[in-house]
Amino acid sequence: MRVEFVNPFITAAFTVFESVTGHKPERGQLALRNTTFTTQQVTIVAGVSGQVSGTALYGMSIVTAEKVAGAMMQSDTTTLDEMAWSALSELGNMITGNAVTLLSNNGYEADISPPSVIRGKDVEVSTRTPAIVVPITTPYGLVEINVALEENALAKAA
Amino acid sequence: MGKRILVVDDAMFMRATVKKILEQAGYEVVGEAENGEVAVKNYAALKPDAVLMDITMPVMDGVSAAKAILQSDPQAVVLMCTAIGQQSMVIEAIQAGVKDYIVKPFQPDRVIEGISKALAA
Repeated sequence: MRVEFVNPFITAAFTVFESVTGHKPERGQLALRNTTFTTQQVTIVAGVSGQVSGTALYGMSIVTAEKVAGAMMQSDTTTLDEMAWSALSELGNMITGNAVTLLSNNGYEADISPPSVIRGKDVEVSTRTPAIVVPITTPYGLVEINVALEENALAKAA
Repeated sequence: MGKRILVVDDAMFMRATVKKILEQAGYEVVGEAENGEVAVKNYAALKPDAVLMDITMPVMDGVSAAKAILQSDPQAVVLMCTAIGQQSMVIEAIQAGVKDYIVKPFQPDRVIEGISKALAA
């Protein structure tokens, strides 16, 4: 897992959060996570495939998820109904899509798959490569960005 | 009556958001689709004035759907509205005949500007 694959996700997360909520987040310290780890209460999962491939996971508490979805829906109070889950999924889609665009600018062409949302703390997740974790602090609470990407073997050979 | 728009996105939240933006600007959202396959069917049935199409969707992606729509109706006005903005994807969409490429997250004005210019062209 190369750190240069993570920076686009941090940049994209800042851009997307600021755009959809109107607040600029603050970045915490990088950490490394094993290939098997457990989820937070809400985790948005998006796949990346191409010259780099793997998974991006965005974890947060239920309270943070409710507040983020509420901000996206321009609603003061939000329960996690179907529309709120869809908003959270779209948040993952926008961050991952913007990150993949930045990766492409750095010479790594990739595509994304439609995100899924896992609800449930301590669900065990396995990734092919250890994830680099970047916590970002938003006005709605902490959001953990987990990026587990590797350069595709075919791309290496090319 | 405003121009008739078909909104295509797998995320219910985005369809609702775009619908609100378009209706506030006087457009009529005549239909929605949650993937490219449904979009192609709905385009044939509804004959909208323009299509606002996401790219990353299950079943059939937005670029494939745009190509299918433009093959059946070369005069179709299709705009992409997607989180992915890499050059190769933009070029593929424009070469297929797509009129504009809006990258998410967007400001409402960007959607209205794109739709109005594409319909005026």
